[in-house]
Amino acid sequence: MSPWVIGFLAFFAYPFFATIYYSFTNFNGVQSPQWIGFANYTALFHDPLFFTSLFNTFFYTIFELPLSTVVALGLALLLNQDVKGRAIYRTIFYIPSIVPLVASCLIFVWIFNPATGIVNDLLNNVHIQGPGWFFSPAWSKPSFILLGLWGVGQPMVIYLAGLQSIPSELYEVAALDGARAWKRFRRITLPMLSPVILFNVILQLVACFAYFTQVQVIEGSDLGGPGTSTWMYVQYLYVQAFQYLKLGYSSAMAFFLFVISAIVMVVLFRTSSRWVYYASEG
Amino acid sequence: MRVAIDSRTRHKLVTSTGKHVVLILVSVVLGFPLLWMALTSLKTNPQALADPPVWIPHPFLWSNYPNVISAVSFPRFVLNTLMYAASTIAGVCISSSLVAYGFSRIRWKGRDFVFKVMVSTLLIPFFATLIPLFVMYKNFHMVGWYWPLIVPTFLGSSIFSTFLLRQFFMTLPQSVSDAARVDGANEFTIYRRVILPMSKPALATVILFQFVYCWNDYLGPLIYIQSQSWYPVSLGLTLILGTYTTNWPWVMAAATAATMPIVILFFFTQRTFLKGIAIQGTGEKG
Repeated sequence: MSPWVIGFLAFFAYPFFATIYYSFTNFNGVQSPQWIGFANYTALFHDPLFFTSLFNTFFYTIFELPLSTVVALGLALLLNQDVKGRAIYRTIFYIPSIVPLVASCLIFVWIFNPATGIVNDLLNNVHIQGPGWFFSPAWSKPSFILLGLWGVGQPMVIYLAGLQSIPSELYEVAALDGARAWKRFRRITLPMLSPVILFNVILQLVACFAYFTQVQVIEGSDLGGPGTSTWMYVQYLYVQAFQYLKLGYSSAMAFFLFVISAIVMVVLFRTSSRWVYYASEG
Repeated sequence: MRVAIDSRTRHKLVTSTGKHVVLILVSVVLGFPLLWMALTSLKTNPQALADPPVWIPHPFLWSNYPNVISAVSFPRFVLNTLMYAASTIAGVCISSSLVAYGFSRIRWKGRDFVFKVMVSTLLIPFFATLIPLFVMYKNFHMVGWYWPLIVPTFLGSSIFSTFLLRQFFMTLPQSVSDAARVDGANEFTIYRRVILPMSKPALATVILFQFVYCWNDYLGPLIYIQSQSWYPVSLGLTLILGTYTTNWPWVMAAATAATMPIVILFFFTQRTFLKGIAIQGTGEKG
């Protein structure tokens, strides 16, 4: 216990409150922080890049969250079928998510390269003019979403475990009552799986709010994300903090991020009682 | 009657074939990027860029691997990563197991509430605490090397590992602790001599996840590591990408070299691995 208490205080409680304090100061990491009141926040709300990065992060989250849920659940349902060689399929489905993220980024900018990538070559064969993918302002966000969908192995495995823990009697009874596949899915699978869905959605949300590595790697190498089309919130925060050394300003961004994610989490938990079904309570 | 059975078996055969077709199609789509990476890594540059695409490299240009590996100090990156992984694994095994012990095998007031607080810190954005931490490590002269990434793991910072170990400790019968207590063992002896030896599978899972985490970690080293000679594999890859952007076979050879160890490791430890993730997801309620 006690190591965690020290760790909690030193690596969590202290920095959390220090972030709030720094956010009201002018601070570059060398001189001691100077109190400037709400100036950082005022500046923040006049910073167009702040809004761009916030918008891009929301855009990514709004598409990635439902899509990854549907894809992960879909893959898990496929793997839950009673077929031979299930373990092999499961391995193939899962492997993309353990590929180092930087390597995944390299692979994706290569296969989706607008001029020399295999994807546009294949599209050409069926007489479709492929888009510019990571290089195009319109397609760069969808490209990153595709990259995210490729690595949904983790939620997929959790859904699969959830599916396998649903008692098969429920399906047998439902089948006797003449319930068709879609109805069985709606009435049994989804409610029984809802706690797992909530868990995965929370994890995905945390990951979306912290979306960084992919954009940093790909934009940092000039291989995509034209202009500010894929500037993400924490990436902008990172640049402000570690390239411009505006630690006060970036602390204000960090605290703002905390407030937003806290609001989203509270709303999610509050509304979850309406759609999450806990067997023990029912 | 016979007709009914026949049509049912035929129906079964058809749906089973259909399922395989769907599964294979999805496998091809999901497996293709990795396959294409491996194929590209064995081509000459003109072959990699050829239109129409060259599917099978001819000849297999294995020399791309030694070439790119010696062009940047790739073995050094691997060594750095192994060092980073080994240190944090030591930290996690020592501290997270102790913390997990306190959260599962000892009864104290407010335990479950404090545990909930600990788990809920997972929801707080990483960046919300990053800046003061960076300043703190800088004042301690720890920035520039792996210290800021290693030290916290000795203080139970890996909540995921703690969570996993706690779930496991909870499943061990209370009677083993009671028996040791009758023999006069104190809590630390019970932890050290009774619980830990029984928890090898759980510790193996934690070690595995920690290794994969370190191997793939990009953000931590990006913030704290400055000198290229201390780069881990992930930062090394971006270095290769920045230097040899026009030489895709080399870039893909490096990506393959960084990916293969993890994929091979996964092949041999699949069961432990997938079980660990399942516990993480469904043990939440337990």
